[in-house]
Amino acid sequence: MPELYVPAQLEDALGFMGEHAGLALPVAGGTDVLIDLRIGRATPKWLVDLSPLEALAGLAFDGETLRIGALTRIRTIELDAEVARRAPAVVEAARVLGSVQIRTMATVGGNICHATPSAEMPPALLVHDAVATVAGPDGERSLSLSELFSGPGKTTLENSELLTAVTLRAPKERSGSCYLRQTVRWSMDLAGVGVAAAVETDGAVVTGARVALCAVAPVPLLVAEAADAVVGTELTTETAVEAAARAAAACSPITDARGTAEYRRQVVAVLVARALRIAWLRATGEWPAGVPAPINGVLSGEGA
Amino acid sequence: MRLELTVNRDPYRREVAPDASLLTVLRDDLGLTGTKWGCMTGDCGACTVLVDGEPVVSCLQLAQQVQGGEVTTVEGLGRDGELGDIQAAFVRNGAAQCGFCTPGMIVAAEALLRHNAAAGEAEIREGLAGNLCRCTGYNKIVDAVLEVGRARSAAT
Amino acid sequence: MSGLLVGAILRSPHPHARIRSIDISAAEQLPGVHAVVHAGNVEQRPFGYNHDNLPLKGDKVRFIGDELAAVAAIDEETARQALELIRVDYELLPAVFDPFEALDESSPPIHDELPDLEGNVAMRWDFDHGDVAAAEAEAAVIVEGTYSSPQAAPAAIETHVVIAAFDPDGHLTVWSPVHMVFMYRKELADCLGLDWQQITIIQPPVGGSFGGKIDIDPHDFITVMLARKARRPVRLVLSREDEFIGTRTRQPIHFKLRTGADAEGKLLFRDAEIVSDNGAYNGWGSHAMLVAMNTITSMYRVPASRVRCAVTYTNKNYGGSVRGFGNPQATFAVEQQMEELADALGMDPMDVRLRNANQPADVTPQGMEITSCGLTECLQIVREQSGWDERRGKLRERHRGLGAAAYIHVGGGARIYGSDGCGAMVKVDDSGQITLISGSSELGQGSETALAMIVAEEMHVPLEAVHVINSNTDVKPWDVGVHASRTTFVAGNAARMAAADARDQLLETAAELLEAPVDRLRIVDGTVGVVDDPERRMDYARLVRRRLLREQGSVVMATAFYDPPTEMQKEYRGNISAAYGFGAHVAEVEVDPDTGMVRLLNLWTAHDVGRAINPMLCEGQIEGGAAMGIGLALSEELVIFDGRIAAPNLHDYGLPTALDVPRIVVNLVETIDPRGPFGAKGIGEGGIIPPAAAIANAIADATGIRPREYPMRPWKVKGWIDTQERSIVVRNDA
Repeated sequence: MPELYVPAQLEDALGFMGEHAGLALPVAGGTDVLIDLRIGRATPKWLVDLSPLEALAGLAFDGETLRIGALTRIRTIELDAEVARRAPAVVEAARVLGSVQIRTMATVGGNICHATPSAEMPPALLVHDAVATVAGPDGERSLSLSELFSGPGKTTLENSELLTAVTLRAPKERSGSCYLRQTVRWSMDLAGVGVAAAVETDGAVVTGARVALCAVAPVPLLVAEAADAVVGTELTTETAVEAAARAAAACSPITDARGTAEYRRQVVAVLVARALRIAWLRATGEWPAGVPAPINGVLSGEGA
Repeated sequence: MRLELTVNRDPYRREVAPDASLLTVLRDDLGLTGTKWGCMTGDCGACTVLVDGEPVVSCLQLAQQVQGGEVTTVEGLGRDGELGDIQAAFVRNGAAQCGFCTPGMIVAAEALLRHNAAAGEAEIREGLAGNLCRCTGYNKIVDAVLEVGRARSAAT
Repeated sequence: MSGLLVGAILRSPHPHARIRSIDISAAEQLPGVHAVVHAGNVEQRPFGYNHDNLPLKGDKVRFIGDELAAVAAIDEETARQALELIRVDYELLPAVFDPFEALDESSPPIHDELPDLEGNVAMRWDFDHGDVAAAEAEAAVIVEGTYSSPQAAPAAIETHVVIAAFDPDGHLTVWSPVHMVFMYRKELADCLGLDWQQITIIQPPVGGSFGGKIDIDPHDFITVMLARKARRPVRLVLSREDEFIGTRTRQPIHFKLRTGADAEGKLLFRDAEIVSDNGAYNGWGSHAMLVAMNTITSMYRVPASRVRCAVTYTNKNYGGSVRGFGNPQATFAVEQQMEELADALGMDPMDVRLRNANQPADVTPQGMEITSCGLTECLQIVREQSGWDERRGKLRERHRGLGAAAYIHVGGGARIYGSDGCGAMVKVDDSGQITLISGSSELGQGSETALAMIVAEEMHVPLEAVHVINSNTDVKPWDVGVHASRTTFVAGNAARMAAADARDQLLETAAELLEAPVDRLRIVDGTVGVVDDPERRMDYARLVRRRLLREQGSVVMATAFYDPPTEMQKEYRGNISAAYGFGAHVAEVEVDPDTGMVRLLNLWTAHDVGRAINPMLCEGQIEGGAAMGIGLALSEELVIFDGRIAAPNLHDYGLPTALDVPRIVVNLVETIDPRGPFGAKGIGEGGIIPPAAAIANAIADATGIRPREYPMRPWKVKGWIDTQERSIVVRNDA
């Protein structure tokens, strides 16, 4: 049975983690950690309770950036109007993560650092150029979020480091993003395929784009060549399909209980095109403000 | 480890294992067995309770993180031996069959209606998606929550 | 409970292995461990329908999850550590996972101890009626296809929990959620060599079963073994993972079906080859074939039929008696072919169904005597409500479609034992309180309420006056158990008979005390009065006291036993149930053809319930059953790779959430069955049967493809779209 260490401030936590390198496991919302402990996937000597570190929770906006503290609950993000305006993909990813209860507990930092390949938040954050802020014994460092992931359940964080925040760039004037996924059930499932896309436009053509995927590779993938396919175009069906094909080629899905590798690749191709399309409609103002995208981009689920 | 918390307005102090879940503490240490366990992985919602007014699955809630907090379980929703409004609506509408998911479902419904008493059917289904019911097919649960939502909206 | 120990089970990690040795010595020596049991240190005899199973396996393990040893310890942590200290030496054997491979004589024998098995075939169910060859020659249209289902789970939200405690004098009490209580007691005694007079079974409130808790499982015996060895009470709680791995499942069934009809859509024959993948042991799960056969031969009027069925052993968790019991699987085949036939004929599938619908007073080829039958009305209702005539076949542009399915199922018990009866006792005490002591069990289906209503109606008292006791074998009279949608019908008739007797005893006393003949007495609200003389009346409490508190007094107490007028089938022929339930569903879906994701938009249902004793409970059974059927159709599956359940948890299993189930429209059709209590028929299973078939038909309508198996998870639907899987019409002379 692990012991519990409750730090008063971030420095205490970092110091403790450094002292007990490899033996201390941080706990934020606990929704992944308690399962890992129960099934023996994690066997730490110490648990480090991050919940007292209130400074790491919360959203901070300025003209330039949106800073999401690592301990910000997924539910907080889901319900925040400003995040919805700036980064709809992030809210769409938050909305479909687990249940209300799980979202009330789980933190964005936990979702990132547990590094589950199907985790919803990373692709949505990646298409918003998220920068990770990491605190360690020697102070803070920043890195692109994509550099944080090294494999299923693995990050590039040192034992004595903690993720403290992710920071999103301010959206350009005409921009939009979207997160879509494929699942078996319409709620509560982990993604079989998750896709985020972001698009910026000058009013005529795409001036910048990002495409990111989850559940189809050991780590969340930012697929630059997919995004490049639409830059400089009017994001027609053809260019979206070309981008989607590149994304499908870039991923490396596996076959498991949530789908076959071949199928997942096909779905990447479908959902990337749809997510780009919806992001484009948002960028051009043709998508109604405040209306979330259907989970897979098409089915509304409204009965006759 | 020492744990102090308020459950259903009563203060408790207990020694509990450092890695104990809130569910274990409620059921095994406090004897509040209204909160059920169905999976221990956060998938079924039978263990839903409110912590400081917000719904959590107590199976995945580290008890020590609720230190000093206020917990409401299904036992705390009735008053003086009377059923709470959601409980009564569940009975009226036939929203419970075996009753095992019911405590978690009712607590989740309480959280949902506090958040939005005017929730419509689609919002209720989305809000209760974390609470699995194997018996009812959800129709009558949705009906009960709609009924209470209407009554609460009319009362305010 | 003082001194209660925690039980835990060591399960096989291998699908098929010989056990060379098992060493429990280290586990026994761990402080806090009070008992370690394995095949070498307990008394046990084979159990199960085929007597091919032992609670603790000594020679071989036959699936991942098979029970090998168990411990009782002071807490969970100690029990877990003790399990880790048990050493087992295995010799791995080749395993059989594919039921078609299991048919082969040369497949590795799973039960080499059983003589005379052909390959791994545990049982056959073969049936012939009429001249299929002649019907085939005559048919204008014949469709053919395969239809498969996966291993699925009852997945009640409460897992199995068993407590066993011996008194110092050797009397055993078991608290168990089982609902074939009296058989459970006998099997415990037979298997463990206990005196069954010294066993009491108590059934606490049950957190759902759906057949998962119907029969005795190895862990039931094991809990008793542990309590016996430890001389302390033991509680065994199955984790969610163990619930999926180690308790009974819905067996996968593979159908190859052909159906033929004449040019007017009149059915001529059905010809089915069926393989049931029933897993490592042949328990009652093998009898899902009985129900599947009923549907092949008797759903609609079918003049000729041929069924060839093999139940196979495979190295997987074994099948049980899950709600619907073979019928969702069979209906998935039969009802898809009804629409395939109609489409081939250019006819409306509803017209074809109505043309062939079962009718009251029909006797089916297996000798099932239909009493009441509302199938036609059910079909007409869902046809009307769904806008079928205007909308089916016309929504494909929007990727939407409508599909229908109907069912036949036992609704008046099912005689598969010597008796299909249930006992009831009604007593009225000196306060006037009425207590029904019923043999049947409550699982959350609401039988206590339905039975209390029947008694209240019969005794002319308000519902609140009737209490129900049904949870203790020392108290309650014998009952087969809760299964086969039989409780309201069988236990209801028994309760009604006992209530009528108790009422008559009260009337007899009233006649004496009020000095009036019985035919001049009327009961209103628990008070007996003389017609036309409002002064002469006496309530039940007073009548009981006057009858009791006198010399040679007596109590008011009535017993009844109702065994339905049915017969055991011989050669698969005979009237197995005293009544049959019918119903029809129409599903509307939207399909995303690019991802294969399916959204169920609407489900309209109509069920012939005989009489709705309690309409709210009837609706609840239908809605809950339909939601389970929706789960089967679209999401639920225990995905198995090389004998291992890939993800034994509730999210990967795919239990439907409130967002996966649309608002289900329920219509109760009352046909007032001549044999049911106040005309009621069973409804516990009806709801689960049609959805998979109706949804498959709706997907076919939306896309033009023909689903071949459920659950119709997105990658399967996408695969059928990509390969253009179509109906196979082997003849079309229409």
